[in-house]
Amino acid sequence: MPASATGNRPEELAERLGVGGAAAEGEALLKALREVKNQIIGNKTKKLLYLHLGAVPRIVSVLASVAGGGDAALIVQAAAAIGSFACGVEDGVRAVLDAGAVPHLTRILSHPDEKVVDAGARSLRMIFKSKLTPKYDVLQEKNMKFLLSLLYRENENVTELAASIIAHSCERNEEQKALYDAGILQRLVKLLGGPLNQRDACLESIEAIVRNNSEVAQKFACIDNGKALSSLIELIQDRYPRTRLLACICLITIRHASPCFVQEMQIKTKLIIILIELLEEPGTAGDEAPFALTNLIMDEEELHRQAVSINAVDKLCNFFYKGPIEPRRLQGILLALAELCSKLEKCRSQLLSLQVLNFIVDALKHDCTDVRIAACSCIRNISRSLKNLSAGHLSSETVVVPLVQLLHDESSLVQVAALGAICNVAVNFAPRKSVFIQCGGVSQLVQLSKSMDPTLRLKSVWALRNLMFLADRTDKECVLMDLTISNLASLICDSEHPIQEQALALVSNLVDGCRDPFEHAFAEDNAIINALTRILRGASSPGVCIQGMFLLANIAAGNELHKEVVLNCLLPPQANGDSPLFIIKFLQSKENLLRVASVWCIVNLTYRDSLCSSTRAARLRDAGIISQIKTMVNDPCLDCKLRVRMALEQCMDFENTHHVH
Amino acid sequence: MPVRVVESSTPSQVSGQDASSGHSLPPRCTLLNVGRAFAGTQNVSSLQKDEAWKVNVQIQGCDFDHGYLCGTMEALNVPLADTPVVTFWEGEIVDTKNYTFFTGKWEATPEDDIRHWSKFPSFGPLLSQVEADGGKSLDLSNYPYIFMRWKEQYFVNVGVDCGLTIAGFYYVCFSCSDGSINGFYYDPNSSPFQKLELKCSNELMGFTFSSYQLQ
Repeated sequence: MPASATGNRPEELAERLGVGGAAAEGEALLKALREVKNQIIGNKTKKLLYLHLGAVPRIVSVLASVAGGGDAALIVQAAAAIGSFACGVEDGVRAVLDAGAVPHLTRILSHPDEKVVDAGARSLRMIFKSKLTPKYDVLQEKNMKFLLSLLYRENENVTELAASIIAHSCERNEEQKALYDAGILQRLVKLLGGPLNQRDACLESIEAIVRNNSEVAQKFACIDNGKALSSLIELIQDRYPRTRLLACICLITIRHASPCFVQEMQIKTKLIIILIELLEEPGTAGDEAPFALTNLIMDEEELHRQAVSINAVDKLCNFFYKGPIEPRRLQGILLALAELCSKLEKCRSQLLSLQVLNFIVDALKHDCTDVRIAACSCIRNISRSLKNLSAGHLSSETVVVPLVQLLHDESSLVQVAALGAICNVAVNFAPRKSVFIQCGGVSQLVQLSKSMDPTLRLKSVWALRNLMFLADRTDKECVLMDLTISNLASLICDSEHPIQEQALALVSNLVDGCRDPFEHAFAEDNAIINALTRILRGASSPGVCIQGMFLLANIAAGNELHKEVVLNCLLPPQANGDSPLFIIKFLQSKENLLRVASVWCIVNLTYRDSLCSSTRAARLRDAGIISQIKTMVNDPCLDCKLRVRMALEQCMDFENTHHVH
Repeated sequence: MPVRVVESSTPSQVSGQDASSGHSLPPRCTLLNVGRAFAGTQNVSSLQKDEAWKVNVQIQGCDFDHGYLCGTMEALNVPLADTPVVTFWEGEIVDTKNYTFFTGKWEATPEDDIRHWSKFPSFGPLLSQVEADGGKSLDLSNYPYIFMRWKEQYFVNVGVDCGLTIAGFYYVCFSCSDGSINGFYYDPNSSPFQKLELKCSNELMGFTFSSYQLQ
């Protein structure tokens, strides 16, 4: 059948939209607009098709031509179609913004016909929901006045729009303050008593205005002698889940912004209970509840305990058994569990006893980046349990292999999160680390230790350090083969102090416990010793010096040759008397642990059973180190005092023997 | 003249009610830290026969801030066991902040506590204060001995049906001067006052240090 002039094929419909040329007019244009709008509602494919056909600029041109006072029905249909294009499809929002729809839609908010105003407000609300939409500059006086005027309109679509624009646009401190000063916060509080959608939008904008701003949060809490705060507290028990969630989020934000409010344990417990109940809700309320819960209990052990007492771990874990979980909700649940397991051993044991570790490990392989990161955080915090690490519950292939695979992830954020988990899981106290070595974990950690990204470099060296804690000789050799002495030496001299610190601790672990790897410290023309000496002479951060001195102490626990090398590092033969010795500086340091590590080094150099200790003791005395140590017999740090006495006893023994002969 | 290492100083008392204010966080003693190993014996003699098991201990975790310590204990010549028996234990450090001298659990009465602590000569100077207020007003952060309770939690390498029990716990006294450890096993159903004696064992020609850091 030949197509009629009023055919509904997208290509034909798109042709008929617009102003002038082939475009339809009057009733036909209205019909075409309505048809396009009906076709695209909730249909992403159709939206993309019409976008491709250039429908958006044509519809915006229709709106532009009639917005000043044309046919109301036409304006309503054009505005509705624009709103629909901006809903849920990024390309749609972009097209609507590019076509300059916002000023025309804003203009129709002043139209005498309420239906037109409604359509404009709804459409703008869709546009301001998108992150792509530029912020509305509330610091401009005319804009602020305009927003305030919208908030005083009788039309709830308009007030909801104004609140949405604020939630979308208010970020900076001065914007928050300006909104408060303009009386907007007070008005939003009044509007909380209105219809559902308006109320929810107001909650979102109040949250944006008080976020991280203690001054405004305090002012909010004082509005109407605290009635504003009370109405929020009432709303956490509202019958609508989304309202409950938004009110909870608002209170949590106020609590973080100004810790003197929302402090009563009763309210905090109530918030935890409500958020845990909200987990059961379908849709956004349930998806966002675990994020709010995490935010509420963040870093607060007492709140973790409260959450545990109302079975939070059980309830969160139950979801794993209910079948596939939407990515956003899964991310939230994993983050909430990660937070709960960050401090309390009770949570970690409970989670492991609920047998959900496999689900969490599966989430490491999820398509969504955020879920993979959240799963890594969860495993990292569960593996803070020394009890379970020691039992080997977290170092099986099932956990280690997928974590190691994430070291190849395309997202560096995932790599960093995986390294966090590997750092902890690597501490399994077992002498053999075969799982890590066989699955290529060590090689990949070594690769990442050469990365240009300092965070990846730090965490990979950290993981290697932990992996080498109490490892057996074969595994140490294996890691050294991959890592190489020259790479280790350059990590010791890395530009970042925390990396230097981890690298030194890694070498200490390699050196400790078995004699043979000692020789590596002297390989490649003393590469490691030279790097260490350079770092210690350069007087880096206290953390670096402490690790450096413990490493030197470890080497000084070796044979005569090793002790000699350490002594030459402390007392360079070519030194002139002008520059003070670093060991003296360290012995005089305010850092307890640096003094302790330095004295341990002296204890090992003058170790009783060692042949040439007396000669070394004499050299130390000649260099003024023994007299420095003598001044420390009453060191305020007990550990230091006891080590000083240990060193002096050993040295005195040599002196006494010397006198006898 | 050599300087003596051991010092029998009386611990100072902190003023006021809050005994926690003076506590410092880093490992109070580098000889009681992760990776450190100890070796010695546990006397398990009964009326019938004299018997001692060789014992190795390794510290795996240390959190002075929370008064927590953990590690493994390996008993070497356990009769009827084919292999050395390894257990994982967790320790409470008596710091008067997280834990006091009174156990308050594991079937130990305050009298049992005092009876066991009193077996350590270094507890002598503390006795009267512990009797007065449980030792709450003592500041032990500068005392050269660290008192602990070690409680075994599970068998690492044998099943629970190995015929051995870990129902009891150890009263432990660690000397910061030389890293030696003395302890007494307490279990109302086992022979009383089984003595544990350990010395720092991971020395080569000096003391070495290993460490890890969790994220």
